[in-house]
Amino acid sequence: MAWFRRTPEQARQRAAQVCREGPLAAYLSVPFADPATDVDDLELLALDVETTGLQPGRDHVVAVGFVPVVRGRIELAGARSILVAAPVDVGQSATVHRLTDDVVAGGVPLAEALAEVLAALRGRVLLAHFARIEVGFIERACAQLWGAPFPAQVVDTLDLQRRLTAGAFGQEPAPGSLRLWTARERYRLPIYRAHEPLIDALSCAELCLAQVAEMRGEGDLTLKQVLA
Amino acid sequence: MALDVELAEIRDFLARHAPFDTLPPDVLAELPRRMTVEYYRRGRTIITRSKDNHSLFVLRSGAVDIHDDQGTLVDRGEAGDVFGSITLVLGNPSTFDVTAIEDCLVYVLPEAEFRALTAAHPDVAHFFDEQRAHRMRGAVAKLQDSGSTSAMLKTGVRDLIKRAPITTTQDASIAQAARTMKEHGASSLLVMDGEQLAGIVTDRDLRNRVLAVGVSPERPVREVMTAGPVVGDADALAFEVLLEMVGRNIHHLPILEHDLPIGVVTTTDLMRMVQASPVYVVGDIQKQSDVEGVATVSARLPAVVEALVGQDASADDIGRVVTAIGDAVERRLITLAEAELGGPPVPYTWVALGSRARLEQALAADQDNAIIISDEATDADLAWFEELARRVSAGLVECGYPTCPGDVMATNPRWRLRLQDWRQEFATWLTQPVPDAILQASIFFDMRPVHGDSGLFPELHHGILARAPQSRLFLAHLAKAATLNEPPLGFFRGFVLAKEGDHAATLDIKRGGIGAVVELARVHALALGSPAVHTATRIQAAIAGGIMSEEKGADLTDALEFISYVRLRHQAAQVREGRPVDNHVNPDQLSSFDKRHLREAFAIVRSAQSAMASRYPTTFM
Repeated sequence: MAWFRRTPEQARQRAAQVCREGPLAAYLSVPFADPATDVDDLELLALDVETTGLQPGRDHVVAVGFVPVVRGRIELAGARSILVAAPVDVGQSATVHRLTDDVVAGGVPLAEALAEVLAALRGRVLLAHFARIEVGFIERACAQLWGAPFPAQVVDTLDLQRRLTAGAFGQEPAPGSLRLWTARERYRLPIYRAHEPLIDALSCAELCLAQVAEMRGEGDLTLKQVLA
Repeated sequence: MALDVELAEIRDFLARHAPFDTLPPDVLAELPRRMTVEYYRRGRTIITRSKDNHSLFVLRSGAVDIHDDQGTLVDRGEAGDVFGSITLVLGNPSTFDVTAIEDCLVYVLPEAEFRALTAAHPDVAHFFDEQRAHRMRGAVAKLQDSGSTSAMLKTGVRDLIKRAPITTTQDASIAQAARTMKEHGASSLLVMDGEQLAGIVTDRDLRNRVLAVGVSPERPVREVMTAGPVVGDADALAFEVLLEMVGRNIHHLPILEHDLPIGVVTTTDLMRMVQASPVYVVGDIQKQSDVEGVATVSARLPAVVEALVGQDASADDIGRVVTAIGDAVERRLITLAEAELGGPPVPYTWVALGSRARLEQALAADQDNAIIISDEATDADLAWFEELARRVSAGLVECGYPTCPGDVMATNPRWRLRLQDWRQEFATWLTQPVPDAILQASIFFDMRPVHGDSGLFPELHHGILARAPQSRLFLAHLAKAATLNEPPLGFFRGFVLAKEGDHAATLDIKRGGIGAVVELARVHALALGSPAVHTATRIQAAIAGGIMSEEKGADLTDALEFISYVRLRHQAAQVREGRPVDNHVNPDQLSSFDKRHLREAFAIVRSAQSAMASRYPTTFM
């Protein structure tokens, strides 16, 4: 876990040296964005991972959805939704993401799904709501598949929401107010069906545009100011 | 592997809004992938005037204002509205500013995708391709196309049935049957066998089969009834039934629904339907010998309007018909009054003012009239005209035309003048305009002779028309007044609804819509010295005079027609429901088609007001 103390870019360079040939190495071969870049000049990838639980060591990825945000525009042409063949039963988690065992059985191996995610993420900043889940599961899979860590530049809309709604004296926002759907309500964004991975990724991307517009006001807003 | 629900949220949203609602499902499913999503914070400009735009925008949430090159608000968009097509169709740069007035989430279709979509789907192309004018015209055509060609062809038999059938049993005596008919004032009686229809007896049967041949009234009615009579189906059309009755020479037709009689249609019912024709009404008015009679006939006016709307006549045509009936009523009342008072001591002309002068009267109109009296009249002669005005005005009230709240009536001595005094009155308005007086006076510039001497009105009118074009200050005041009545552009968002009283949350379609066009056209016509009073004719004059482009003029005429039609349809519905008639439309009762086109029509009016404001800058005042 030593790379946490380095900048993400330093961590990327270090990881690139130890990584086996493959999708992760290709991802690691592209330099990260300069933190001084204006957010509107960035490319991000809004990502949502549906899992059987919250622990990367024990639980499994069942579906992945993502959509790119390129210089302030959500590019629906790049939207993808991928089912992953989980090695175990989906079990009770099906009640959340509505992906049943039968549906998941039609999915692709995790390595294949991850290869697509990493290809889309190349040269982009990872964008997610409560990104710890996404990053945790990808980290775990990368270590197993390619024997290397997964450094990433991350923008977390939950983190941005906390900053935007924190009181003047730093009080914590009300519990529940940071959830994706609650946060979207604040900007009167449309109501979607939750827990379909692509719709969640799109929801996160739209929320990010709204948050960035609020944070920016009339001035500049750099990547550094929004990084998790 | 893709999930089949991907981007369904966006597809479903598009599917609910024009023009995307016309796309086939496979095209619709693919469309979101061709779009991007953008977010605009309140206050930001989405399309900037005099800059190029290369996208079509679909507003997913939030609201936008659209301002024209004069800085005038011409439209307001809400979720589901589409904008940016004007530059895509007519070319860059944009002549409009589109500004987010709330935080907006928009779906953006790039120009190339827009072109591909419109090329492949004529319906979508049609939606955008045509300019507002054509869309307006299409809207009018569509509205008027929604029914068939005549009330006779459209009316169902069911609608003609006024009451439950009057019945008796087979064993009842002829005398009992006759008494039942008398009690109900019925000219026919259905004879029942239990719940089934056994036969029918009519007035004529009682004469021909009973009295003339000496049958005892104590005999059972079944012996003289027409057994197993010809019947009509409740779902048939009136004209089918009429043909049946004429063909068989019968005057009473029992109507059955599920084999049970629900009423009887008579040839009189059918004739009454034909009578809602304005030709009959005008003819009948002229035959009346007293005010009461005129009032009885003029009470048929609402039914005439309802029938005309049902027959999909244009608002312009209906306006002329309502005016013709109004004129007929007024002429008849004047003639009756003259007959009672003895002929006029000096020549005079009775004139109509306002909407009736313009041939644009609708229902719920009040009296607007005046009298021009020959200059040779002595003060003693004037008393005759006072009495004439009093009688005619009272008669008009009886005939359903309430008095004018602004007292613009011949009963008011100010508007019952000698020709020279009228000249003086107009000269004051034209040369020493006072804003408040101008607002009141504008109605007098829509004047049309209805009755009396044919020379007085032209003399007055020519003088006015010769002077008006030079009266710059007067025109500037009139122009300013014409731009004050802003069309309720935001009514669908609850902005400009009348806030108080009986009409809370309704749209005054006369004031902001029709009234605004009327005022604009009046200014243009007077500036040109045109004798036209009819609004569409005035707009034609403005085009001929080079004040308005042909396109803008056609737009404005179409906008007026559409707004007027919506008003008339609203009034026809009130007539049908037996409610009092007014000009207040409840937006909830408008279809999305109506709302969209009303908004377009209001936008056209607003833009014409804006053009007028720049033609008559208020800085000169």
